Amino acid sequence: MIFRFWYFIRETFVSLWRNLSLTLAAILTVAISLALVGSSLLIREGADQATAQFQEGVEFIVFMNADALENQNEAIRKVLDTSPAIKEYVYVDKFAAYEEFRELFVDKPELVESVTPEIMPPSYRIVPSDPDADNVTELARQFSEQPGVKEVATATEAIRQIEDFSTRVSQALLVAAIVLVAVSAVLILNTVFTAISGRKTEIEVMKLVGATNWFIRIPFMLEGTIHGLMGAGLAVPALFVVDSKVLAYFQESEAVPLFRGFAVPDGFVWSTSIWILVIGAAIGMIGSAFAVTRYLDV
Amino acid sequence: MIRFEAVTKSYKGTVVALREASAEIQRGEFVFLVGPSGSGKSTFIRLINREEVPDAGKILVAGKDISSLSSWKVPYLRRQIGYVFQDYKLLPKKTVIENVAFALEVIGRPRPIIKRQVPAILELVGLSKKADRLPEELSGGEQQRVSIARAFVNRPLILLADEPTGNLDPATSVGIMRLLDRINRSGTTVVMATHDRGIVDSMRRRVIELDRGILVRDESRGVYE
Ligand SMILES: Nc1ncnc2c1ncn2[C@@H]1O[C@H](COP(=O)(O)OP(=O)(O)OP(=O)(O)O)[C@@H](O)[C@H]1O
Ligand SMILES: [Mg+2]
Repeated sequence: MIFRFWYFIRETFVSLWRNLSLTLAAILTVAISLALVGSSLLIREGADQATAQFQEGVEFIVFMNADALENQNEAIRKVLDTSPAIKEYVYVDKFAAYEEFRELFVDKPELVESVTPEIMPPSYRIVPSDPDADNVTELARQFSEQPGVKEVATATEAIRQIEDFSTRVSQALLVAAIVLVAVSAVLILNTVFTAISGRKTEIEVMKLVGATNWFIRIPFMLEGTIHGLMGAGLAVPALFVVDSKVLAYFQESEAVPLFRGFAVPDGFVWSTSIWILVIGAAIGMIGSAFAVTRYLDV
Repeated sequence: MIRFEAVTKSYKGTVVALREASAEIQRGEFVFLVGPSGSGKSTFIRLINREEVPDAGKILVAGKDISSLSSWKVPYLRRQIGYVFQDYKLLPKKTVIENVAFALEVIGRPRPIIKRQVPAILELVGLSKKADRLPEELSGGEQQRVSIARAFVNRPLILLADEPTGNLDPATSVGIMRLLDRINRSGTTVVMATHDRGIVDSMRRRVIELDRGILVRDESRGVYE
């Protein structure tokens, strides 16, 4: 068995080396397509995280200034408690806000260190009686005029912005990725086919001396799988770059307040990476399986 | 060892390469297949190791009906059958010893067995001294010996040879025939297709003659015509 293992490894790498240019093309295409798949997943996750505050009917959030006066808070609370337009609300004080922030950026201690509870804006998460968009917009406008209010983020606006953005970007990436995944499967099929045609005599002899079909197929399938894995291996660092550069760019942007929540936990980047490796191996296996069943039949 | 029962084989529906051929070959026999070009000799040989499947009739090899053999069992049938080609089919980038070892490697034989059997078989075919040469550095006769070594290294029950001397001069052919004779005397059944009148006439073994797919003659100790 050990001996067979080395036989397969040797045959696989000899073949990889023989078709170097095709091999590189296949590997790079896999890498690019999987980097796109991964980015699309990261952006989705970022959007989910950013919109997580708007749950259970919360339609808008009133952010107070960190240094809002107690009587300014009193005034807001009085409106909230008495207005028939408000169904319920939750007050998130600066400590709770800080806790949430810490949880969100648990993998970015430098970011957590840069803030203190003192500078976190306290907020009211508000469930209106009537979640109609026009009504929410009107309520939000009223609250934004109150003294001590920093800004009002409405779910309809903010979520729509973020979701529009993330849906559009991640769908565009996904479409491109699917096309490229198909292209890379075909490229791998082609590489494996070339490898097969380069070894016609060898395969013929193997069949005639009684090698089993799987014994003949395995090196070729291994070759395709390794192409897929190598491509995925290149895509993984690209994901970390996307996470640390692109998503970080959104987090720093002032244009849309909610983008600041646009972060994905490091754990998610790792689990996405594992998926990418699995998908890469699968592309390689499927591409080469096609090649061997089509071109290697007894 | 090999039994054909009214075997018919045609290619692409039109050419009938073998028509209701029946023959029984005993263990340890040496059989020449003769006949003009296109008479069905190669087809006869390819049917024995299941490279082709008959359209009608039955083929038994070592007591098993191989016409109904499921395809995953075919490799195991072939491990009992050595095959020698007219054009040797050696792998050009492998040395003599590697070419022979290859046949055992790809059927998963353990390395100690390979290490023991390959040098022994090279000794038998008289190529021990050229074990590390590449095929292109050998004469045609030597290449054919390598090919025979590869076919015989797993000690098959049956050795099939399709015009093994077809590319060789008469003197070299005699050497190859001595080798095949020796292999036959060790108990291996040999079936050999040939156009070489001299060889058939001098060896006086069983001769099966085909003509346009029909088995027209079957003589023990026969001659070419
Ligand atoms: N793979 C194939 N496809 C179609 N026809 C074939 C095939 N192989 C052989 N034939 C035909 O079957 C007939 C018998 O061929 P076969 O190769 O068995 O003859 P042969 O006796 O070996 O001839 P030769 O002495 O020239 O080698 C011929 O008419 C040949 O053209
Ligand atoms: Mg022939």
